Amino acid sequence: MAEALIEVDDLSVTFRSEHGRTLRAVDDVTLRIAEGEVLGLVGESGCGKTTIAKCIAGRVAPSSGVVRFDGRELGLKRATEDRRAIQMVFQDPYSSLNPRMTVRHVLSELLRVHRLVPRADIETRCRELMSLVGLPRGALDGLPSQFSGGQRQRIAIARALTVEPRVIIADEPVSALDVSVQATILRLFEDLRSRLGLTVVFISHNLAVVRHLSDRVAVMYLGRIVEQGDRESVFSDPRHPYTRALLASAPRLHQIELVRPTVEGEPPSPIDIPTGCSFHPRCPRSEEMCTRDRPSLEPVGTRAEHFAACHFRDEKSPEAPEAP
Amino acid sequence: MTPVLEVEGLVVEMRRHRVAFRAVDDVSFALEPGSALAIVGESGCGKSLTLRAIMGLLPNRGRLISGRVIVDGVTLPSDARGRGRGHRQHRRMSIVFQDALSALNPVATIGSQVAEAPRHVLGLGGAASRARAVELLRLVGIPDPERRYHAYPHELSGGTRQRVMIAIALSSDPSILLCDEPTTALDVTIQTQILALLADLRVERGLALVFVTHDLGVVSQVAERVAVMYTGRLVETGPTAAVLSAPRHPYTSGLLAAALDVDSPEREPVPIPGSLPDPLGLTSGCSFQSRCQFATPECVTTDVRLERVGPDHEAACLHSDVLAAAQAAGRRG
Repeated sequence: MAEALIEVDDLSVTFRSEHGRTLRAVDDVTLRIAEGEVLGLVGESGCGKTTIAKCIAGRVAPSSGVVRFDGRELGLKRATEDRRAIQMVFQDPYSSLNPRMTVRHVLSELLRVHRLVPRADIETRCRELMSLVGLPRGALDGLPSQFSGGQRQRIAIARALTVEPRVIIADEPVSALDVSVQATILRLFEDLRSRLGLTVVFISHNLAVVRHLSDRVAVMYLGRIVEQGDRESVFSDPRHPYTRALLASAPRLHQIELVRPTVEGEPPSPIDIPTGCSFHPRCPRSEEMCTRDRPSLEPVGTRAEHFAACHFRDEKSPEAPEAP
Repeated sequence: MTPVLEVEGLVVEMRRHRVAFRAVDDVSFALEPGSALAIVGESGCGKSLTLRAIMGLLPNRGRLISGRVIVDGVTLPSDARGRGRGHRQHRRMSIVFQDALSALNPVATIGSQVAEAPRHVLGLGGAASRARAVELLRLVGIPDPERRYHAYPHELSGGTRQRVMIAIALSSDPSILLCDEPTTALDVTIQTQILALLADLRVERGLALVFVTHDLGVVSQVAERVAVMYTGRLVETGPTAAVLSAPRHPYTSGLLAAALDVDSPEREPVPIPGSLPDPLGLTSGCSFQSRCQFATPECVTTDVRLERVGPDHEAACLHSDVLAAAQAAGRRG
């Protein structure tokens, strides 16, 4: 892998819950994100993917571990340029935009405060940003309520791009959108990445979206990364039973038969994480050792770029094609 | 077989800023006992409102203009809100909503909520209705139902709450279950479990299902028939396999082309151009024509209706044969 732009080392985040108990949202996560790559972070609700994103963006303080950007350690207090370098785009474009500010107001304020362009050029830059995200320049005069969901998400992306970031962390950016507009936003991300060389952390529960957009994928379960690797390794030959279960239950257009659930039950509470492998109570493959020994993220076979946290990671997926 | 549910010419008007528009426009379908129909469409297309109109639960801003709901051959009486005044046939239907947390009573135990219909509708006594509730909780796959009977909704996970919703829906012993995006708020591994539960209930109890969803990937798993809805109108209906593999309405084919498939990451999704038309500005012509690549001037003026395009397959498009030819050419090329 190329030089990492973002390094996350042994990151843990715990929250105090009711009755003084501890909720372990992120549990000892190590992650590398290379410049210019799209990392897909997958997992179900409550698995900690958003918390990791917030740590990287400096919105949540890690309980332990470090986040490094360009080799420098970043805490919660960051220099302006570091804050500008990492921007977030949120799921809900209805609540993440100020309803009383026109698009021009939102963008020009950022340009002014950060002194990104000379005052006289603010209008020109606003128009450039609009065309970058595929909106007409007339949109600058609109209030968020006048736009559709897809257009609002474009505005949110334009706002993130205003401060010329190097990294965009997109937290479920298409989940609230209808299918017919999802594709336009995904295209926009692809386009921005190739034109601006952006590094993207793309968080989603939708495997189809992640498979389409990402170079590398990290699958999370109960605060831990259970499988990580380049996109094709993970999707065509998943080695963690949880990844397999996720893939098996992903909705498919031409799936005529009903998919029978392969895992039972529901994720346990992060307040009460099971011993050993945290997936073992639901795992169809679990054995006695899984209840005791927590597997760490280890390379799968001889592959340099594929890791799984499972004692049985070297067993092939039942339905995977022969490895090349 | 006689249909268990017939919906004829359902028209619902909604008011927005004192202007009324047709949110459900002439929707008709029939459902045979034990069969399942999926209604699919994007936000605001009127799919949920259709269910609510059938169930007699229209919101205050909605008005039932015309249309009949026939259950087991008996037309349900209804007022302008679609409410059926507790008609006996009405109890043959139950509804499950997307958001179980807000549909459940937060200050009552789940057991008492499940026991309510057995007690007040079926007229069982206290002990019998409690026993029935426990049995229903077990039926929907809630472990340790005797203990869970006393749990409150907030103590349960999203998947379990949706199971409770289904138990409540089943508690009046219906033959029709209306499902309004019951798995949309759930994680995929839980979604699979709920879909399997609904499929099992269909077989075991002979339930007929109307399943509203925005997710084409779910449609094929739950229903053998699908109806595609756009701006309040049904634009295509037919056997699920036929509609998804050879759609005959440009909107259906557009939705399919825009959807991502986890198995074919290389296929570029193609968005549908334009955006939803303003429901206040709809005319009698085809409401999709402004976004449609096959549109001709006729589409603006002609009142397009569902026409037969194949076995048991209907589409509301003047150019469905052009679309079919384009698909055939696409497969060859």
